Amino acid sequence: MVKFADSATDFSAPSMIEGIALVVKVEGRTAWLLPEQGTSCGSCASASACGSKGASTTTARLEDRRFQIENEANLIVGDRVVFGIRDNVLLKASATAYIIPLAVMILAGSLAQWKFGNDIATMTATIIGLVVGMGISRAAAGRMQTKGDLAPQYLRRARPGETCN
Amino acid sequence: MKEYLLLIFSSALVNNVILGRFLGLCPAMGVTTRVDAAVGMGMATTFVMSVAALVGWTINTLLLEPFGLGYLRTITFILIIASTVQFTEMVVKKVSPSLFKLLGIYLPLITTNCAVLGVALLLVADKMSFLSSILFALGSAMGFTLVLVMFAGLRERLAVMDVPRLFAGPPIAFIVVSLLALAFMGFAGMGAS
Repeated sequence: MVKFADSATDFSAPSMIEGIALVVKVEGRTAWLLPEQGTSCGSCASASACGSKGASTTTARLEDRRFQIENEANLIVGDRVVFGIRDNVLLKASATAYIIPLAVMILAGSLAQWKFGNDIATMTATIIGLVVGMGISRAAAGRMQTKGDLAPQYLRRARPGETCN
Repeated sequence: MKEYLLLIFSSALVNNVILGRFLGLCPAMGVTTRVDAAVGMGMATTFVMSVAALVGWTINTLLLEPFGLGYLRTITFILIIASTVQFTEMVVKKVSPSLFKLLGIYLPLITTNCAVLGVALLLVADKMSFLSSILFALGSAMGFTLVLVMFAGLRERLAVMDVPRLFAGPPIAFIVVSLLALAFMGFAGMGAS
């Protein structure tokens, strides 16, 4: 008899996207974390000792993604921790960063095409729409930031050898 | 209005960029292990594809065609896509560093997505107007995102299924994507000869 796991799995349950980060700095009650780079093969079991992270471009990219959390768990430099963000945050963030500018850009272009019926006017309006959309996106992102929607949460210390794959 | 809606729906469903044109298969297999990653990648690709269409149409119409430089189209579009991705990355970082921290990981992957180049070349080859180009790119990107999300949902379920060991992992994913491609063929009709 073949058993199917889907009958026991609740796919609609709210979930959290988890990642692993390294504590690189502790300042009072604030800990600075550097996320570990996930691998695309999905089979690597040695992220903590991975040599491919040494490439300068990757390191610079990871440096850009450094973030801070409240150090309530008395973390020290070198600790590996599991952090999480709610999965709907990623959706909201993607919509804010990409869909708002795109929607305003296409709306402006469509209105210009309807009004003038000429490619150059449509192109100009589309570019203006893109810039305006980015302004709106910036305001929306600022509001999300103020509300704390984008902040990752500390979940637990990572187990030895645990990876995000 | 009707023709624009038809353009969007036909590029999203009938000529789906992944399942109809077989472009962008790399992210379709690589970023579909989780739905949230697929959504992030899909939205980023939608933005980049639309902006690349805008810039590509403009440069092709105002520079390459008037000066007879059509033979430089492919290399120019590669440059445009790489610049658009870099520009998007800089803008997202400037607009909100927090958003960049969340979403920045998907952007560099788009540079090597052949679907973006394929769509930019197709809209030039079809001699579309400016707005049609943008809507064609938008529709293609929506189709791309739709397939990515559907496929990711199926793969999330497959991950907890009791799949025979021989088929576990990529083999069953390829079988699933081939069934999806068959389903999408239905949008184009089966009677074409």
